Amino acid sequence: MTNINMTVNGKAVSGDVPDETLLSEFLRENLRLTGTHVGCDTSQCGACVVHVDGKAIKSCSTLAVALEGADVTTIEGLANGGDLHPMQQAFNDNHGLQCGFCTPGMIMTSVDMVNRYKAEGKELTSDAIRDELEGNICRCTGYHNIVKSVEDAASKM
Amino acid sequence: MEMTGSYRIGAPREAVWAALNDVDVLKLCIPGCEEIEQTSPNTMTAKVVQKIGPVKAKFDGAIELLNIEAPASYTIQGEGQGGVAGFAKGAADVVLTEDGDETVLEFMAKAQVGGKLARLGSRLIDATAKKLATKFFDNFHNHLTGTDPPGD
Amino acid sequence: MKDGIGAPVKRKEDKRFTTGKGKYTDDIRNDNQAYAAFVRSPYAHAKVKGIDTSAAMAMDGVIDVLNGQQLTGDGIGNIICGWAITSKDGSPMNMGAWSALATEKVRYVGDAVAVVIAETQALARIAAEAVEVDYEELPVAAHIEAAMADGAPQIHDNAPGNQIYDWELGDEAATDAGLANAAHVTTLNITNNRLSPNPMEPRSAIATYDDAEEHYTLYTTSQNPHVARLVLSAFYNVAPEHKLRVIAPDVGGGFGAKIYIYPEEITCLWASMKTNRSIKWTSDRSEAFLTDAHGRDHVTTAHMGFDADGKITGFKIDTLANIGAYMSLFSSSVPTYLYAPLMSGQYNIQNIHCNVRTYYTNTVPVDAYRGAGRPEATYLVERMMETAAREMGMDPAELRRRNFVQEFPHQTPVLMQYDAGDFPKILQMAQDSADVSGFAARKAEAAKRGKLRGLGYSTFIEACGLAPSKAAGSLGAGVGLWESAEVRVNPVGSIEILTGSHSHGQGHETTFAQIVADRFDLPVENVSIVHGDTDKVQFGMGTYGSRSGPVGMSAVVKAMDKVEAKVKKIAAHTLEASEDDIVIEGGEVKVAGTDKSMAWHEVGLAAYVAHNLPDDMEPGLKETAFFDPVNFSFPSGAFICEVEVDPETGETEIVNFTSADDFGTIINPMIVEGQVHGGVTQGIGQAMLEQVVYDDDGQLLNGSYMDYAMPRAADVPSYSISHHEDSPSPNNPLGVKGCGEAGAIGAPPAVINAITDAIGTNDLAMPATPQAVWNAIQAAK
Repeated sequence: MTNINMTVNGKAVSGDVPDETLLSEFLRENLRLTGTHVGCDTSQCGACVVHVDGKAIKSCSTLAVALEGADVTTIEGLANGGDLHPMQQAFNDNHGLQCGFCTPGMIMTSVDMVNRYKAEGKELTSDAIRDELEGNICRCTGYHNIVKSVEDAASKM
Repeated sequence: MEMTGSYRIGAPREAVWAALNDVDVLKLCIPGCEEIEQTSPNTMTAKVVQKIGPVKAKFDGAIELLNIEAPASYTIQGEGQGGVAGFAKGAADVVLTEDGDETVLEFMAKAQVGGKLARLGSRLIDATAKKLATKFFDNFHNHLTGTDPPGD
Repeated sequence: MKDGIGAPVKRKEDKRFTTGKGKYTDDIRNDNQAYAAFVRSPYAHAKVKGIDTSAAMAMDGVIDVLNGQQLTGDGIGNIICGWAITSKDGSPMNMGAWSALATEKVRYVGDAVAVVIAETQALARIAAEAVEVDYEELPVAAHIEAAMADGAPQIHDNAPGNQIYDWELGDEAATDAGLANAAHVTTLNITNNRLSPNPMEPRSAIATYDDAEEHYTLYTTSQNPHVARLVLSAFYNVAPEHKLRVIAPDVGGGFGAKIYIYPEEITCLWASMKTNRSIKWTSDRSEAFLTDAHGRDHVTTAHMGFDADGKITGFKIDTLANIGAYMSLFSSSVPTYLYAPLMSGQYNIQNIHCNVRTYYTNTVPVDAYRGAGRPEATYLVERMMETAAREMGMDPAELRRRNFVQEFPHQTPVLMQYDAGDFPKILQMAQDSADVSGFAARKAEAAKRGKLRGLGYSTFIEACGLAPSKAAGSLGAGVGLWESAEVRVNPVGSIEILTGSHSHGQGHETTFAQIVADRFDLPVENVSIVHGDTDKVQFGMGTYGSRSGPVGMSAVVKAMDKVEAKVKKIAAHTLEASEDDIVIEGGEVKVAGTDKSMAWHEVGLAAYVAHNLPDDMEPGLKETAFFDPVNFSFPSGAFICEVEVDPETGETEIVNFTSADDFGTIINPMIVEGQVHGGVTQGIGQAMLEQVVYDDDGQLLNGSYMDYAMPRAADVPSYSISHHEDSPSPNNPLGVKGCGEAGAIGAPPAVINAITDAIGTNDLAMPATPQAVWNAIQAAK
């Protein structure tokens, strides 16, 4: 057991966890933040993506004890009070989700993607969006409307 | 998956044959072997730890020597249960040929895996099996001669 | 009506999913939660000689280890197949016994032999590793050919030669005559590749037993919770129906895989009683590859004859279907009644004969996966049409046009009566949208870049809303195929719809609300949808086979008819007018042509306070209806796929994919298009990427997302979609036809027809990976 302290969605949290505890397990089981999903065992599907210190990572392949002092944002912490994040709104406006299971990871990945492209001053084309979504699998939407959602949100972020 | 190989060992055939039948030598040479115990002249049980691709497993296995034509050839066959990781089986036909003071060891081995090992590791089985077989015979060569095999 | 039928209303359910507030089964945790992990066979076929649980039981935190002998000893019944198929010689199908935990024999890699119950999930999994099972290996039949071979290992004692049935549909003699008289006969040998459905949410179950009430609650990832309860109760003897509540909360995709009642749910329910703990099991992805029913896996030889004008004279099909190690719930119907009746496609074919033989193999059970039988039929028919056109030197679109059914209703020789459609129109829509006339120029331009450009068609029809119950029953179905609905108008005028359909991505909370909003001229916000809980909803058959629209919504319409009649009676009574003069509009119930009206909510209140109702009227305002359609509905469509192949690498890019479809009336075009996007993408996955691979020892070789290739964003294009709404289904009140499966049904042949057009050889199997395409190019040189 190791005691860990981090900031999750703006709140200080701590817990005693076995060393092998994954961040996804810590979020889901210890903090009961079940919006972060686990869809595979091999770090391929991206349903578990959260932000650590502002960058998208796969929480299913990150040890919780490695994140002492980190600032973590999950899908539950993305909206600002009652206002949805532009990416969340864009997924609703463009029908970018169906069953919703991959959606938290898609949104967290997409927010990071748009932030990076804007910071680097690069153009986020639809081809670039598709390439950037390489680590996120959706079985429902065929990606058509996810790409539209990201394009829409990028114009508003 | 089938593999073949041959080694020239600087030791007489009788010595090579004796080593091939020595449990302690086998324990030293089988990669990842933690325990080996002789249960009859031609059978042994063993515990072997192996990692294949993303799956690490501890195998509880049985080793059997078959087709014994002392001191020229035998088949060494092993089968291990790796719990939820699945199982692994392998067999090698080993032939020893005298060449002066030296011995030429030739082997033809095949391997098969099942369960999670197959499901997650099948892409890597060929490479892994080849690596393990090579490692075994390298170890064996080194043990008998105190040197690495040429070209390794 | 702003939010009514035809409006692209944004989904009401999205907010909880985009904010992480969705509630999926694995998100639920009970107070006395314990966890299950299954001990699974690593062998494809073996005798179970003994199970040593001592090491596992000795671990701290292990509550129990349970096995199949105990399960059957407690009277838990074998898993059933719910559709009885009769062989052509009149004999019943050979269904082998399937226990939720194997007792004497395991028949596929993944067959469960024991379950460990422990305090944590991690511990349960570690303890499962410590359970030692003594197996005696048996010879394996991992593929159909091996299962059919002389001397093949016998998988079930009561299925000699591993054959389950030898079934036929159609007139063989007439079809042979049709082929004998043909000017040209095209022959195809094709394989329909085995797929894993892969909804992104892995299956999960939480079973809780209340020993005081002798009552069970099961949260599970189900497309049809009432069917689950019925089967768990009536066949598996878990508990009587009134002592079992099944809840399917938010479910993360289904695609067929979540129709069935699997060993894990049965075992968790039973184990909750044995241990008096709430038992939770969640599959990991690797386990899902081994336990979720697979789809497809057919091998077919077929001949189609044509006269000198290109009219089809006969179509003869011989199919071998792999059903896996056990017969899953609807497995028998998929290669028979969901397959052969679709062999007429969009074409007027007088003579069709289809023979289907199904076999057990030592593989995961095979059942319905998005489309279920219809993709297999469509792939065959549409590959056949394209290949025949090439052999006869005809334009493939023209060959189709010459054979299109033009008059409705149209009776095919394989059971189906097509109700409505306009196939030439849809094909023309697709051709216009895909700019087929500009293809030659695009091909020439691609050639300059060293690329091979190809174009392929698929003009398909499917049968949705499986019906009527009486007909299905006569064909062997074990259940009725109606749907139910309750429309509950509350005293404040808001409306709850209780439906037996289940939404796991389809957007029912929005579309079902739209049909209510449309009918009663109310905002969709005033309507909520209740589904997925056997304690709340009267009964229902669930969601599969694109049935929620044609069947589920129709039940809502029938219930609304009753509500409307009562509303009008109450209003007429209160306003002292004739019922015939009452109209509902703008949130009011009015006497037409007067200024007399009641607000909608005043009618609701009047019904519940019951101070002033007609003498013979019961209080309250809620109505229930069951809808059993008189026929299937027949969505159809034309897909055109355009590809570019790099002949140096075999890499194929879909440069354009066009869909023109006829789904009848469209309730919400945004959602319908989303269904097409997803369905087509799964079809492209089958055509180009996906295949479950078994070696000859029955080992599944690609059981993870590192090994099983599913479409990712860069693998698929953006889609161009148009709709034809002028041929509504005459068989349901809304005229809807169903849209959930069309993409997966129609896309694979369009893709393969396009690639084979590009590379100039018909000899290409799915999945058309770069390696397969490159090999086909080399073989044709």
